Amino acid sequence: MTQTADTNVVAGGPVDPLPPTAAALRRLRMAGTTFLRVGGLALAVVIIAGVFSIHTDGQMLASDNLLGIARSVSTIAILSFGLLFVIVAGEIDLSFANLYGLCTNVIAVLWLLHGVPVYVAILAAFAVATVVGSFNAFFTAVVGVPSFIATLGSSTLIFGFTLLIGDTQTFSAQFPPAGHAVSTSQLEVFTNLSRFNLPFDFPMQGLWTIVLLIGFGFLLGRSLFGFRLKAIGGNREAARLARLPVRRYVFVAFIISAWMACLAGLLDFAYVGSASPNDGQTYLFPVFAAVIIGGASLSGGRGTVIGTFTGALLLAVLNNGFALEAAGPFAQQMLLGVVTIAAVVLDRFTNREGARR
Amino acid sequence: MSDEVGVELRAVRKTYGDTVALQSLDITARAGEITGIAGPNGAGKSTMIKLLAGEERADGGEILVGGEPWSPLIGARGVAVVHQEPELFPNLTVAENLAIGRERSRWLRRGMSEQDRRLLDDLAILPLADRQLGGLPLAVQQRTEIARALAQDARVFLFDEPNSALTEEESDDLFRRMHELADAGRTVLLVSHRLTELCEHTDRVSVLLDGRCSGTVSGADLVPETIARMLVAGFLESDRAVRSPVSGEEPTVLRLEGLGDGAGAFAGVDLEVRAGAIVAFAGVEGSGARELVRAIAGFGRTSGSLEVHRSGDARRDQAFVPASRADSLFTNMSVGQNSVIRLDREITGPGLALRRRRSREIARSLSKRFMVKAESIDAPIRSLSGGNQQKVAIAAAIAAQPAVLVLEEPTRGVDIGAKREIYELLRDYAGEGHAVVLYSTEIPEVFEAAHALHVVGGGRMAPPLLVADYPDVESLAAAATELERYAASPA
Repeated sequence: MTQTADTNVVAGGPVDPLPPTAAALRRLRMAGTTFLRVGGLALAVVIIAGVFSIHTDGQMLASDNLLGIARSVSTIAILSFGLLFVIVAGEIDLSFANLYGLCTNVIAVLWLLHGVPVYVAILAAFAVATVVGSFNAFFTAVVGVPSFIATLGSSTLIFGFTLLIGDTQTFSAQFPPAGHAVSTSQLEVFTNLSRFNLPFDFPMQGLWTIVLLIGFGFLLGRSLFGFRLKAIGGNREAARLARLPVRRYVFVAFIISAWMACLAGLLDFAYVGSASPNDGQTYLFPVFAAVIIGGASLSGGRGTVIGTFTGALLLAVLNNGFALEAAGPFAQQMLLGVVTIAAVVLDRFTNREGARR
Repeated sequence: MSDEVGVELRAVRKTYGDTVALQSLDITARAGEITGIAGPNGAGKSTMIKLLAGEERADGGEILVGGEPWSPLIGARGVAVVHQEPELFPNLTVAENLAIGRERSRWLRRGMSEQDRRLLDDLAILPLADRQLGGLPLAVQQRTEIARALAQDARVFLFDEPNSALTEEESDDLFRRMHELADAGRTVLLVSHRLTELCEHTDRVSVLLDGRCSGTVSGADLVPETIARMLVAGFLESDRAVRSPVSGEEPTVLRLEGLGDGAGAFAGVDLEVRAGAIVAFAGVEGSGARELVRAIAGFGRTSGSLEVHRSGDARRDQAFVPASRADSLFTNMSVGQNSVIRLDREITGPGLALRRRRSREIARSLSKRFMVKAESIDAPIRSLSGGNQQKVAIAAAIAAQPAVLVLEEPTRGVDIGAKREIYELLRDYAGEGHAVVLYSTEIPEVFEAAHALHVVGGGRMAPPLLVADYPDVESLAAAATELERYAASPA
């Protein structure tokens, strides 16, 4: 790295002594790291989809199946967008999976058990998520507990709350507990959050994901917030000494993660129609996998929303393919592990020059 | 005193990439003596220590320990380095720290060997043998380190700024141990910034400058003023930049009244800095100078008052550039991103959207103004040389347009050419109607860059030395050393 930099420099000259084309090439190469990653991942998705569809006589590419993939990618994608902000800030959030369950149960209990209007119940769930996100951020950024420990603790705490408020029952929106009634208009609005009829039967959750992809893509990639968040994640001490609002940003990152957990729970609840205490727990690992496969660095300061989305897509396609092959859940689990480790190993090789020194 | 040579370095060379750490170092330390090593930052002191301890290998030359050529075994067994922060196992007890690595059996034995017991007793730490090391005072940890070295029969003891965090009593005791070691025929090297101590406790002092030994003093010449002059030798009078003095009519930018530190590192500091002035603070580690400068930058809990008045085109109160580039740069970002990271309104449009073209323009003009040698502003920050990285760190702070620019050792680890450029940039920035505050450990830096020098000792700030009053850097160095000695002595 150093050598190339030195040889290209005109002695004593100011910056950009390269001819415009070379400078442009260089810039392309810099932008290329993200581009390559996303492109490479997209290519992998296409190849895997191709292999599976040949293997399954085209079942994979059937439009029903593709729409199914679009729905199944969305929960992981939404959760991983939230987690991405925490990881870019150089922290870890292990609590989102149980928070997903807490939020579905808060909505279920308030709405189905206590007759609170569903709109208020949803607002209450987001308020709970805000409290949890702030709780995580407080112990991480103010008290100084490592976020791994803080969120491991809050995750268990949250699960306890979920069991407490729902009394370990499973709730169904269509069939509320005996002696309770649900207003049909509210049920319709609620269900439409995930089942609204879009053209071409495109799943509503897919639309949510696309909107978030664009919004968060802007926030992380093109806004002052994203720029500074990467700096804070890249070098916390330098950020503090440069007077960047470190604590405030860590709070915002954890709250974004909590909101996305809440939103993902809400949308799944609306789609499936039922909520139970264990909701969300199985997402913990796949969501981490999606963020890591998507190129975010666990040491902070690096990651893109589009990369994370592609990571989620890869997982969804793999899962779907294995389901079509009827390979069984064990093979899927093992594959998830292999893919995640492979992604990190690949990342170490492609970023070798950056990782040195 | 014996004439036996304990350690000898002959024409030792060491380079790191393009940076020459040691050009051709010749140093001799005799057994039974304490040899002092003095030198400004970057002169090669720490490289020399690393070579002797075996942490790094020399590129050329010869290192002899007790007459034998240096080998990894001698480095590991025969040379002991006592650091300012002991490199031991804080989670183990004193006795376990002493025993680890020398266990005779695979099984942990309870209790200590008779030998170890005697060693700890000699160093007066036997009663603490079963206490966990991490919870004990630094002085005890250092004695444990010495005990460990004695247990493996080290012949050479290197003390690297050992007492900067010790109380007076503790450091007196440490010096007593050093004399004991020397009296027992061992070779003792003491690396220190504190010239008074060097003169008091060593038999001779070698001065390192730019990776070579520029001279050795002993006997009657061994006084702080002589060493201070030697440390700044080679600084050419013509290097001194023409500096317009600050008139008393400039507005006051920074005012301190009775400023004190919550932890007691300094107290009762009154100061007024006018626009256009560059004020330097100097003082050894532990004097409070570093803490004072950080407090001026707005960090840490303080008592008293600190006022900043934005003058001219200042948009922010303070901006701080720490000494270590590990604390001032973002390695996950490019040169351009690093240089605009402190900005906000300057690089955003409506809705906090980054104005990418605008921020690139700012970054490019900063790079040009600071003469940063980089392939482009998109190059990773790590691809730059140390001096250029430092320029980017300073550029980023100046881009924020602070009323008070605060820098800690602004040219540490930077080559001569880049140093000049950095000083000029600081003078330009002050000249635009701002105040610049420096923490410096090097008198030539103060001489070249600053208008006034405040020596800090024992948490008190001495009245300013006006740099313009001194005809050459030697006389400024001598005056500063005298003040330091005065400040360090109890009032």
